Formats: sequence, C-alpha cells, structure tokens
Amino acid sequence: MNVIGARTLLGKEVRRFLRVPGQTVLQPLISTALYFIVFGYTLGGRQAAIEGVPYVQYIVPGLVFLGVANNSFLNSSSSFFIAKIQGTVTDLLVAPLGPGELLFGFVAGAMTRGLLVGLLTWAVALFFTGAHLVHVLGTVVFLLLCAYVFAVLGLLAGVWADKFEQINLFPTFLMLPLTFLGGVFYSVRHLPEPFRTVSLFNPVVHMVEGLRAGMLGLEEQSPLGLGLLLGLAVGATTLTWRLLRTGYKLKS
Amino acid sequence: MAAVLEVSHLVKQYPSLTALDGVSLRIDEGEIFALLGPNGAGKTTLIGAVCGLVKKTRGSIRLFGTDLEVDPLTPRYRVGLVPQEINFDPFFTVRESLDIQQGYFGQRADRARVDELLEAMSLTGKADSPTRTLSGGMKRRLLIAKALVHRPKLVFLDEPTAGVDVELRRDLWAYVRTLRAQGTTVVLTTHYLEEAEALADRVGIIDHGRLLLVEEKRLLLERLGERRLEVHFKEPVAALPPAVVKGALSADGRHFTFTAAAGTESATEVLSLLFAAGLPVADVTMAPARLEDILLRVLKEGAAS
Repeated sequence: MNVIGARTLLGKEVRRFLRVPGQTVLQPLISTALYFIVFGYTLGGRQAAIEGVPYVQYIVPGLVFLGVANNSFLNSSSSFFIAKIQGTVTDLLVAPLGPGELLFGFVAGAMTRGLLVGLLTWAVALFFTGAHLVHVLGTVVFLLLCAYVFAVLGLLAGVWADKFEQINLFPTFLMLPLTFLGGVFYSVRHLPEPFRTVSLFNPVVHMVEGLRAGMLGLEEQSPLGLGLLLGLAVGATTLTWRLLRTGYKLKS
Repeated sequence: MAAVLEVSHLVKQYPSLTALDGVSLRIDEGEIFALLGPNGAGKTTLIGAVCGLVKKTRGSIRLFGTDLEVDPLTPRYRVGLVPQEINFDPFFTVRESLDIQQGYFGQRADRARVDELLEAMSLTGKADSPTRTLSGGMKRRLLIAKALVHRPKLVFLDEPTAGVDVELRRDLWAYVRTLRAQGTTVVLTTHYLEEAEALADRVGIIDHGRLLLVEEKRLLLERLGERRLEVHFKEPVAALPPAVVKGALSADGRHFTFTAAAGTESATEVLSLLFAAGLPVADVTMAPARLEDILLRVLKEGAAS
C-alpha cells in the first residue's frame, strides 16, 4: 500500500476544490440558502407542521443530503474526468498507485467537499431553525455513507465518461428528479396512493428519511435507507475498483 | 551488467492495427538507449506498455526482474516517464506539481531535490508560478522534472526536447549524461537524430511494430555508416584519374562526390589520388557517418523485406 501516495492524492484533491471556493463551496451553499428561503419561508410558511415538526425545520435534513450528495458526486466525477481530458491521469497511471490508492484519494477528497458543504448547509439552517440533532451517531453514519456512495458514483462516472455532457447525465437526469421527488421538501408517507408506493421505489427517499430520523428523531425511517446505502457502497466500490484495476477507458 | 528491463515477444494488437509485433528487447543498467523510428512505428506504444499506459495483448515485460503480470506496481517506484503529450494541472504551481508527483511515488516532499531539478531545468524563477502561465518549452521542462523528482533508476524520455530551444536542449543532454553517470538508465525516443547520436550508447530501430535492429551506436556507425567526401574544383575537370574507380563527377565537371562505406576504399586514399593527378582542387568537405542515413537505410530495407 502506497500510503504517502494515497495521502498525497487526497491532499491534492482537497487543495484543488479549495482553490476555487466560490465554485465548489459557496455556490452550492447559496443555492441551499435560497431553498430555505423559498421553500421554507416564502412557500413553506403556509405549510402546516409535518409530524409535529415545523416545515422549515423538516426540510433541513433533505437539504443537507442534497449538499452532501451533489458535491461528493461532482468533485470526484469532474476531477477525474478533467484529469483524463488534461492528460494528467498519465501521472497517476505511471505512478505506483493501485486501484485502492486511487479510490481512497479521489473518494476521500470528494467526501471532504460533500461533507463540508453539508456542514455549512446545516450551519445556515441553524440560523433559520436553531440546532436540532437528536441522534448524533446515526446522523454521522448516514452522512458519511451518503458522501461515500455519491463520491464513488462520481468516480465511476469520471472513469466512464468520454464527454463533458456524459458527466452531467447523472446529476441532471437522475439525481435532480430523484431528489426533488425523493421527499426532500415533503413527506412521501403522506402522499395519496399510488404516488406513495411509487415514491418508495426511489432510493433517495430512504436516504433522506434516514438522515431525517437521525437529525430530527422522526420515526418514519425504514431500515431500507441504511441497507440501500450499504448495498450501493459495496456495489459501486467493487465496480469502480475493477474498472481502475483493468484500466477501463484509461489504458489503450 | 544487470537488465533493468526485459521485454519478450511483446504484442499489442488494436482492432485494425498491430502496434507491436513480437518485440523483444533488453535494456541494461546505466545505459542510454535510443529507440528510433518514424511516427506510428510503435515507440510510444512500447514505452506505454512498460509504464502502465497500454495493455499488452501478449508477451511479457520484466522491470527490475519483476514480471509486471505478477506485480505491476512495485517496480514503478523506480521508473520515471516524460510523456510525449504535454500535460499540466492548472490548479497548482510548478513547485506544488513537483511535490505532488514526488508524493505519488511514495516519497515525502524534498525541497532540496525539487530545488535541484528546478535549477537543472531552468525553472527556478517560475517555481511559484501557476503551471498554466508557463510557455510550451517550460511546460516540457516541467514534465522532465516531474519524471525525475523521485530519483528513478530507469527513465523513459518520449520526445523530451520537442519544442525546447537549442540551448536548453544542450543543457538537457548534459543532464542526461549526468543521470547516466549517477547510474540511471535512460530510454530515449527522439526525432532529433543528432540527439540520439550525441547521447545514445545503443540504438534500436523500430517500424510497423517490429524491432528491425538493436546495436551499439559506435558499432552501428562503423558497420553501416557512410562518410561522404565532396571535392570542389576551381575549373571544370574533364575526367577523373583512372585509379579513381569509385565516386562520381558532376556533369559540369566541377564537383566530385565519394561515399566511403565501412570496409571499402577510404576517402583519404581517393583524395590522395586526386591531388597526385594534379586536379585543381578548390575545397574539400568531409561529412561523418550519420545516424539519420543509417535509419533511413534500415527502414527502407525493413520495408522491402
């Protein structure tokens, strides 16, 4: 195991996104703050409390999830893809960095950005709603798992993509509809049938609910969220590790 | 001498192209090996297969005695590559790029080593500049520094001086000789044949994925090199002395050319005959054997076979 190599890659990834904080940290933070204002106050002010929790507080875990998932994905996908386009991926391929080191460096770097944005989102939420954190351990586990899963999926997309357009396929055509229909801004449990049942097939629902259970202590969570995240973590890691080991789309 | 690289029957097959067609090659410790050939001959593919950028179809590659099939990573700690294509990460400065590269190879940042390379590559003044602000030649030199920062024992220089000005090219040659003196093995591809001529201990000529020839440069020049004698006359000469049976007189009788291959009549003998015959010699030029001529000849013979 090339420990220094893996750590160097992680350090490089973190420094890379910190070099452009306006784009990588502040911009998603502003988007999230706008969600609070629009959905939480302008529209949400007219909403009744959900399961005894004020609406503006109810949407906090979903918005934290959005920040963590989107930014974890975007960091690893864009960083790896740009390395392919710029040719700097050559530096990684000729170095004694195996799939384990590459996975660690890119995924841990992406998780750092995702968790930083998630944390700052929560800090913004504190300003609007005050502090609410019922199960610290459960929340931390869910946040780490969300960040990990989306960071690995991002790396997978970065390895697979040949064009910038392909990098945007996942966030635009999958993440965006799944998150907006995934109970970030409402409780799918209160939807009329068949929408309630259909929504439960959306994996994001269970992730958001898991985080909501941890942060707000609501009991709507099913163990499916944790199971889905663990399954995705194992599946995505195995696939990405295989692609990196075989040099899929990296070696001619 | 120990082999640092042993390539055996290496084949790289693309769907519509055989890039490497059974290449076998051994590179010994401490030598400078020049791999020559036209564009698309297979030079970069061969280097890529050794450095982990190209997946081989068949054959074996042993680096420092280790089969890359068995352990593809450990030998890489001791290998450096200057790729043909310029790459740079615009987020970082020159110094940071070198620190990162050193870290990839499992070494902690070594400021003295980085400073030494910045000096050697004339980049000291640009150490803290973002890489995107460097000129093309500077970016090329940064690539060279990156390939050397972890003190590799085997360095591949794939067209290292393309786009580098003459003065810096000479500096780089001197640095390559220093590397060899320190025991580093260098494999070089270049289109500047004078570069190979100046640096190489051995030469390999590759075309269409086949290694046509591998030989010590000195022996190759002796064996296949042709020296060219040119004589210019003050006034037209009607005929050559009967003793001069080789060489050619120009149609206007003002120029005489003679090519001396190894093992044939020497140019000095021919020249003596011209002077002895009292011909009005105005000027004499003698061109030494050139690698370029040998390369063209070998490629032509290779194509014919």
